[in-house]
Amino acid sequence: MAKGTGPETIIAFGVRLEGDLVAEGDLVIEGEVHGTIKTKGDLRIGDQALVEANIEAANAVVSGEIRGNIIVHGKLELFPSSKVTGDVVTDILAIGPGAQVNGNISMGAEVTKGKKRTESVDAS
Amino acid sequence: MYDEALQDRRFERELAQIETRLTDLGIAGKIARLALFREPIELIRDEIRGGVTTVVAVGNDMTLRRVIDAVQDRKTVVALLPVGPQGAMTSLLGMPSGVAACDVLSARIVEELDVGEVNGKRFIQSAHIEGTDFTVHYGKQYTMKPMRKASLEVRNFAAPDDAGTQSPVDGRLSLIIRLPKFSLFGSKTDISIVPFEEIFVTCEKTITAKVDGDSLQGKDFSFRVIPKALRLVTGKARKF
Repeated sequence: MAKGTGPETIIAFGVRLEGDLVAEGDLVIEGEVHGTIKTKGDLRIGDQALVEANIEAANAVVSGEIRGNIIVHGKLELFPSSKVTGDVVTDILAIGPGAQVNGNISMGAEVTKGKKRTESVDAS
Repeated sequence: MYDEALQDRRFERELAQIETRLTDLGIAGKIARLALFREPIELIRDEIRGGVTTVVAVGNDMTLRRVIDAVQDRKTVVALLPVGPQGAMTSLLGMPSGVAACDVLSARIVEELDVGEVNGKRFIQSAHIEGTDFTVHYGKQYTMKPMRKASLEVRNFAAPDDAGTQSPVDGRLSLIIRLPKFSLFGSKTDISIVPFEEIFVTCEKTITAKVDGDSLQGKDFSFRVIPKALRLVTGKARKF
């Protein structure tokens, strides 16, 4: 996995974050996040984590629960304990047996680039 | 700047050796002694106004801290010459204890270190708030709150431990939240780490924070990093 340019941020179990979490480096979420998550680095969501947020990351490994849309520019790994309610856009996807995804899945490098471009146009 | 504890006779010989070695190395200067009721701030600032470019704290972490409180500019070089019982700064800065530190002083490897600030009070190492309910505000971006009583540490410079390493030259501080967790299989601590430049912490009630060993009372605490605020002499064995 590619490393982000900044230092690592860890939100441990028992901590609740509300708002927009933007990081330059890698992110580890074991607690609760409500809002949005965006990082240029890699994202790891632990099995006890609860994330109600739209997510954008370079690569991601998910073991916990996500309620929101996910854009991963590289590889997204959904572990067997993971549960995703929302749309997934990623270049490469690996899903473990038992992982739940309730939403649309779009794959391929062109799709993630297109998604990023569309969002930039929307933002402007 | 000699610490008041060095007036004890057991340090006489070591101080004499240090002064001799400094003379041999061609390092000359004015000696001032700290005393219980003598604040060094005005004394040091007067000397800096008079042209002093380097202030050497002879003693330990607390001596260095008192000197740093007085040196607020970014030109004056500060050094620690460790004598007597030491805290963490000696090894972090790579300064040997006693006479050996004179040679490190002479080599004059000067690093520009970040300094932390909480409610206007500066710190080099860290500030602690123990076991309380608090909320962290990261600008208008987000708030963060532990779901039960936790300890909070804002760290600039520390030896590697369970919260990893923090560099005093990266232009950031680290917010560390420790939440103890007890189970049948023992206890462990969940650690959150968030790098930042500026945060605001609000507590449920007035508490006492420890800022590099000094007490600071308050309910709201505003933390920020002052990048490259301090020019410090370090040894080759420094931990950053």
